[in-house]
Amino acid sequence: MAVFDSIHLFLQELIGAYYMQLIILVGINTIMATSLNLIIGYTGQLSIGHAAFMSLGAYCSALVTLHLGFPFLLSLLCGALFAAIFGVIIGIPTLKLKGDYLAIATLGFGEIVRIVCLNLEITGGAMGLRGIPKKTNFVWVLLAVLFTVFILNRIIKSRIGRALVAIREDETAADSMGINSTYYKILCFGVGAFFAGLGGGLLAHYIRFLHPKTFDFMKSIEQLCMVVLGGLGNIWGSFVGATILTVAPEMLRSVADLRLLIYGLVLILMMRLRPQGILGEQTRLAPFFSQKIRNLLQKRTRTNT
Amino acid sequence: MTKRNKKMFMLVGVFMCLAMLLAIAGCDSKKPANGEEGTVVKIGTVGPLTGGAANYGINVQRGVEIAVEEANASGELGDITLELISEDTGGDWSAAANAFTKLIEIDGVDVIVGAVLSSETQAGGPIAMEAKIPTISPSSTAKDLTKGNPYLFRNCLSDEVQAAQLAEYAVKELGLKKFAIFYTNNDYGVSLKDAFEAKARELAEVVAVEVFMDGDESFKPQLTKIKESNPDSLYIAGYYTEAAKIAQQAKEMGLNVQLLGADGLCNVAYIDIGGEAVEGTYATSGFYPDDPTPAVQNFVTAYKNKYGEEPDMFAAQAYDAAWIVINAIKSKGPNPEQIREGIAATKDFPGITGKTSIDEEGDTIKDVIILKVEGGKFTRVR
Repeated sequence: MAVFDSIHLFLQELIGAYYMQLIILVGINTIMATSLNLIIGYTGQLSIGHAAFMSLGAYCSALVTLHLGFPFLLSLLCGALFAAIFGVIIGIPTLKLKGDYLAIATLGFGEIVRIVCLNLEITGGAMGLRGIPKKTNFVWVLLAVLFTVFILNRIIKSRIGRALVAIREDETAADSMGINSTYYKILCFGVGAFFAGLGGGLLAHYIRFLHPKTFDFMKSIEQLCMVVLGGLGNIWGSFVGATILTVAPEMLRSVADLRLLIYGLVLILMMRLRPQGILGEQTRLAPFFSQKIRNLLQKRTRTNT
Repeated sequence: MTKRNKKMFMLVGVFMCLAMLLAIAGCDSKKPANGEEGTVVKIGTVGPLTGGAANYGINVQRGVEIAVEEANASGELGDITLELISEDTGGDWSAAANAFTKLIEIDGVDVIVGAVLSSETQAGGPIAMEAKIPTISPSSTAKDLTKGNPYLFRNCLSDEVQAAQLAEYAVKELGLKKFAIFYTNNDYGVSLKDAFEAKARELAEVVAVEVFMDGDESFKPQLTKIKESNPDSLYIAGYYTEAAKIAQQAKEMGLNVQLLGADGLCNVAYIDIGGEAVEGTYATSGFYPDDPTPAVQNFVTAYKNKYGEEPDMFAAQAYDAAWIVINAIKSKGPNPEQIREGIAATKDFPGITGKTSIDEEGDTIKDVIILKVEGGKFTRVR
């Protein structure tokens, strides 16, 4: 672990603490967006309570660190598993619902989690939870992102992934093909919640302070924006979406008052001009870019001649 | 095909605009810091300039701005010029962490006045401590905020002090005996409630404790319970919008009690919304703009001239916090470490929000002002 710290410090010397912080937040948001993408983009279940799973993971991992003195990796795992258990518990009744109804149910769940965190003694209630030791660093986040992307990628490419996509395309048809759609939906909810909890644990040990207000409805919407902006059903798209939506508000600090205006405008224009997201539903980044470059070259040669 | 091309072009256009903005932002932030020359001391402010709490953040920023302008114009600091850099949090603590890091790492500020909300300061405090940059919050009232952080100070009434003092005043001066407490469920409301309840139980009786949420419209269910317990006074631990509505609904229900409150009520909007119903309210405050002393009147005039409205408590406390920093620079020196020593040594500073000292925990010791609503105006009773 000391090695991780020294790598982190070396890189921080190199690029500065501010950019380091941005990179770490991009990493955490990537975990959030990719895990939400599994639920929304691949399985087609509109969940708008993802921040609730994040807060469950964040509080759980922070509390086991504070009260039980767990090592970092173990507390992250505790947080992620805690969130996953709730993902399954919530999934069982709500995933029988479809579309708008599921969205409302997950929205309600998110509010319940927030209100419970606001009123429990152990979570610090309205005062927030403080004094969490700083353990998250660049290496941890990098490993967590790689782990998340790797596992999600394996799931998507496997039989499970095909089943999830089949459910998204047509649940009835999937059922008639012998896919147990309820089982797969709950599975994907559990996996999504697991990684959301992981992201929450990383955030808790990075900012060192937790407050229920941060994990509200707007946070869930922000994560939804990352997924949609990057491209539904595209892991790389979630990475791109998370990066843009984390970095853009920071970079726009210099225009102060216009910040939120520009931010909103970019979102609207994106949805108007490219509703399928920046990368769209393509599974690989490289073919996307090579295709674009080829198009550009073709155009160039056409105009030249 | 042509339609697709057009779309692609527009998309590329959008991205180029964004890229240009990013580039501008990048250039801006890469200007070399010249704080080392000893001529420019950079003061950062952090607070919500957008979002629901924007009012507080903007007022804090304005208060600091006036203090910095005064100090620069007066030449009191000799060859040192102050430069102000403000960052927005939108009221979110993780954005506050970004803002603190940005100010410290990119802008190279020497001292920070902020943050505004308690949760923002909770997130930013450890960052400032790590970077050894002194920070003074003009408005974060949460309990134990500055404990264990030698670089974090505050210039505002802590919730415990103002609630306890009002409870004492209510019992001893107003002769109240049976208190009901109605608090908003956030850090502000909870710490006020805890302190008021403890003191009130010690001196008299607390008959009801009820809770509401920010943004609630109807308070009648809780008020009904409160009415059943038959109190002679109601302490509202919350902000003015909800408090004014509570006062109105209590009056409609025939709940005749003495209204009490904290600095969250001290805004003209409390009287505007509450009207008749809030008449006679006693509230603790950190600032009284009609105070006739010249320092207060100078500030009020300067503020009105610049921004066209009357300063509130946030602006006044921020102004004082900025002057505490300026005095620290004057007495000890312009380096962050010297500024920290200077702030820590503050004693009997004659601010516009009262005589202020900083204790060894970094907390403020100052007199609590008690205001009363009389004839549609706040008047000072203590």
